[in-house]
Amino acid sequence: MAEPLPFMTITALSKAIASKALSPVELTQTLLDRVDQYDGVTNAFIEVTAELALKAARKAESEVMNGLSRGPLHGIPVGLKDIIDLAGYRTTAHSHQLIDNWVKEDAVVTAKLKEAGAIILGKLSTHEFAMGGPSFDLPFPPARNPWNREHFSGGSSSGSGAAVAAGFMPAALGTDTGGSIRLPAAFCGIVGLKPTYGLVSRRGVLPLSQSLDHIGPMTWTVEDNALLLDVLAGHDPLDPASADRPYVSASAGIHGGVKGLRVAYLPSLGAEAGASDEVMKGVAHVAETLKSLGAIVEEVTLPPLMDFASCGNMILSSEAFAIHEPNIRQRPEKYGEILRDRLFLAGFVHASDYVHAMKMRGELVATVAKVMRTYDVIICASAATPAPKIKEMPKFGLYTKPPLTFPFNVTGMPSLSMCCGYSASGLPLAVQIAGHAFEEATVYRVAQAYEATTTWRSRRPDLDAGLKALAA
Amino acid sequence: MSEAISKEAFQALIDRAGLTLTPPQFDELRIAYGYLQAMRERVRKPRGYDAEPAHIFKPAER
Repeated sequence: MAEPLPFMTITALSKAIASKALSPVELTQTLLDRVDQYDGVTNAFIEVTAELALKAARKAESEVMNGLSRGPLHGIPVGLKDIIDLAGYRTTAHSHQLIDNWVKEDAVVTAKLKEAGAIILGKLSTHEFAMGGPSFDLPFPPARNPWNREHFSGGSSSGSGAAVAAGFMPAALGTDTGGSIRLPAAFCGIVGLKPTYGLVSRRGVLPLSQSLDHIGPMTWTVEDNALLLDVLAGHDPLDPASADRPYVSASAGIHGGVKGLRVAYLPSLGAEAGASDEVMKGVAHVAETLKSLGAIVEEVTLPPLMDFASCGNMILSSEAFAIHEPNIRQRPEKYGEILRDRLFLAGFVHASDYVHAMKMRGELVATVAKVMRTYDVIICASAATPAPKIKEMPKFGLYTKPPLTFPFNVTGMPSLSMCCGYSASGLPLAVQIAGHAFEEATVYRVAQAYEATTTWRSRRPDLDAGLKALAA
Repeated sequence: MSEAISKEAFQALIDRAGLTLTPPQFDELRIAYGYLQAMRERVRKPRGYDAEPAHIFKPAER
């Protein structure tokens, strides 16, 4: 084991555990110690579930020693964004509203992780109800970026992004309604996948906007991400949006390369959002790399980002307001300022706006499908800039600076964000790779081929520097 | 951005939504309403009678 335990991939940890060279108990304890030492830098955790984790680790150790294998996640610590239910613990949504929301049942994704032998290490910071943040007036502080704690870790799966980059855990689950997996992945320099709508069950996860919500994996490497998706995916007859279709393994063909694959390159999305030169060059370099590996890369355009953002925002606002309507009317003081004011604004969307947005959604899906007819994937920037400063985030940014991730929530296509370099200031840059619905395997193939050509995975945040900054 | 909504019209929207805003919230949200209005205008295009919303609904079968 050449790498220290907190920096090993799931692929490597899994081999070490299966060969009995590494005990899940030793791994779990090492990570718990690291969280104890460094989480003041990132505020990634809302609750560390140490007792539960060590119990599960001892069980996994016993099973491995007795020759039972539950697959590649057996004995692997994982974190949950705190809108995902874990039986016996609170799901707070990072909010005073749900500060005593103890739950009795696991979310479907939590149950799947446990069945696969994964160890739940804790509940992780989020924007309030996955919509309001970063906020400083909530019961828990907002997550900070481990690369520089003065910067935003992205949202709303803020703790999940920070925790994986910090080496607190090799994987975490996030949710994504407008970019909430891919933005923290981009700002924290990790891999995050928003799967196809309907591929992963939403049951047991607090909703933000039911027709745009997705649950997905966040990891340090592409291959680890695919291993998680293989566990999470599958039909859930009790989730009305769940797709009833056979699942094709995302990890099986991941090393297949990109020779002959057709890649649509979309620089206009970043340009439209005023992306920085570093971002534009980073994404252009990905396009060139894929071309050098044998892919056919051609430039394309899509409808304006503002079309996707307007459509998505009208839907998100309407559905979120319907969920929060009683509380925002009767006890708005229980929300943090940012979510409260965003919900107030959402309350002004009319029913006919929502229906128009739903009609527009169908039109956008058809337009993108037409462009994608002759391509396997599309690549573009994940975010216009590296992580901004945490105290400079605009309250109504979804309207004024819409995320570059939103188009693929509207279309429901799978979309992955991964590191494509670092800025001069040492913050990660990121590229987005989206594919056809239910073709996550192709997205991963392209991402894996690119990742294998880079050295980006050899760099980690300096948490000791973060501790010094915290003490200063 | 669209022209700012009048205070009276904005108060009517607040009442319709059943919300209670403080004066500073009223002022801030009235400005922010312009962002929402701009998005609304993008979404509201002339469409034919046959334009379907992207909802999914399956009747329950026996």
